[in-house]
Amino acid sequence: MTSIKLYLRNLLHQGAVGLSIATAVLYTALPLLWMLSTSFKRRIDIVSSPVVWFPSSPTLQSYWLLFVEHPFLQYLLNSFLVAASVTFLSMVFGTLAGYALARTAFPRGVKRGLGFWILSQRMVPPVVLIIPLYLMFGHVNLLNTRTALVIGYTEFNLPFVVWMTRSYFSDLPRELEESALVDGDSKWGAFCRIALPLAKPGLIATAMFCFLLAWNELLFALIFTDTIQSNTLPIGIASLITQLEVDWSQICAAGSVASLPIIVLAFIVQKHIVRGLTFGAVKG
Amino acid sequence: MSALRLRAIRKNFGSTVAVDDVTLDVPDRKFLVLLGPSGCGKTTIMRLIAGLEKLTAGEIWIGDKCMNRELPRDRDVAMVFQSYALYPHMSVYENIEYPLRVRKMPFEQRRAAALDAARKVELEALLDRLPRELSGGQRQRVALARAIVRRPQVFLMDEPLSNLDARLRVKMRSELKHLHHMLGITTVYVTHDQSEALTLADQIAVMSHGRVMQLADPKTLYDRPANVFVAGFVGSLSMNFITGEFLDGSFRAAGINVPGIGIGTRKGVKLGIRPNHLGIVASRSEAHFSGELYSVEVTGEAAIATVRFGKELVSVIVARDYTGSIGQDVPLRITEDQVHFFDDETGERLSFT
Repeated sequence: MTSIKLYLRNLLHQGAVGLSIATAVLYTALPLLWMLSTSFKRRIDIVSSPVVWFPSSPTLQSYWLLFVEHPFLQYLLNSFLVAASVTFLSMVFGTLAGYALARTAFPRGVKRGLGFWILSQRMVPPVVLIIPLYLMFGHVNLLNTRTALVIGYTEFNLPFVVWMTRSYFSDLPRELEESALVDGDSKWGAFCRIALPLAKPGLIATAMFCFLLAWNELLFALIFTDTIQSNTLPIGIASLITQLEVDWSQICAAGSVASLPIIVLAFIVQKHIVRGLTFGAVKG
Repeated sequence: MSALRLRAIRKNFGSTVAVDDVTLDVPDRKFLVLLGPSGCGKTTIMRLIAGLEKLTAGEIWIGDKCMNRELPRDRDVAMVFQSYALYPHMSVYENIEYPLRVRKMPFEQRRAAALDAARKVELEALLDRLPRELSGGQRQRVALARAIVRRPQVFLMDEPLSNLDARLRVKMRSELKHLHHMLGITTVYVTHDQSEALTLADQIAVMSHGRVMQLADPKTLYDRPANVFVAGFVGSLSMNFITGEFLDGSFRAAGINVPGIGIGTRKGVKLGIRPNHLGIVASRSEAHFSGELYSVEVTGEAAIATVRFGKELVSVIVARDYTGSIGQDVPLRITEDQVHFFDDETGERLSFT
């Protein structure tokens, strides 16, 4: 009797869990699926009611328009170059600074002040920086260049990287690096051979976030760039909304193109992200 | 291989004095143990020798070279950390080989030396494993192999056995002793375990609050402790102390009279007697003092009886078949030639020889 009761309760419990998960998955995945399906639709299907989930005669026309009529290949390249450079620069400088903050024996007050000052750079709303940065980039002829975006995004990513890597390095036992020093390594060697490999999961997760931020950013790109050679994907997508029409199938095709690299990247580094975000939670 | 000399070294952390004017000599090939309770500065001394901390004052010499300004890598010491500090992302082999690799030794030589070190600590079968796949004892061996792989001038070991279980600790202790005998490398070993110190050391420096309380070989330390601190710290059961005075050649205190062991007359004397030099006797006429039985603990080979004498608890080693009931009156006798006397105020040993 009780065992049946228990069984039923278990079933109910599992059902509830399953339902919650299904809701969460649908909530996040449905818009993506809609986007993907719309990108293959003919115009007539886009506005039809009820919604057509699976277009009866899928077409690649939107993609063709995107890459032939619009310079989306160039935008893709711009986005990739900018995001990759930003990630590289932020990680190189941020990791070094984070390590220094984690390991150098600054006086206590100085260390806290320095840490807070770095973090405070992140607290400024980006929009506040636009006018000063615009003027500065104008003076040094960097408007309408990818370089301007790289500088702007790196400035924004650095505090984040410094804080993340600092906590990853702080979680490593100091003795490992000390042991390396006694074993005959230099400080730089101990950093490269011991600290870096051990913090790798965290560093990869952090790099992923850097890349995402630069990849998705719209505001700076909108203000600082206005040429095909310098526009990034988000600008390209936004430009599909015109006075005459909103071309949903092209927007969705562009959105799918923009999402794809990130999804692939996420799959590749997924294992590291999970490890990275929980890194240091359990000593072991 | 070289002698190690510490000359009046001092280390302050802010306003706390961690190491206070310590001067020590470790002759070439000798085994020195720094023994003391936690926080006495023994680990700091080790880190100073390794160059992981900067001296506040004093000099550290290894061989005929002053090491004060040398980087850790240039001091040619090897250190075994309490946590072993194995590199978690490297295999056992890579761990052992690391000190040679960073010193840019050629591959063939490196391989031979690493394998030789692994053989000395019986790790040949585990070379491809990662540290997390090893047991505590095996990790300990990897740390040892990594230390001996390059024949340093001085070995530093910071409580290397404290993370092992009791049985393994005794086993590794004898292996350490054997290894030291084989390699003959000057060694400084930090521990808070007096039995480890007594069994391993050529010389023991007992430390308290950053100072060396006594530097002696294990036998002297045990037989002639220089002060109350050393007397109480060394020995598996703490020494019993009774405060009293000398009166015409006898030691007297409330409820106790031990004739014929003191010299002259003197106030403020602390008598120290180890639990194995105290005995329970049959009658009060043979006894020097008596107390109320507080507890009896059987340890295996023997038993420890604790007796309340005045406000003090006195421990006595008795035969394991001793049957006394708690609360009963127990007559105790001191083995007269095994007593120690200390100045009650300074804690220093009183000697009359």
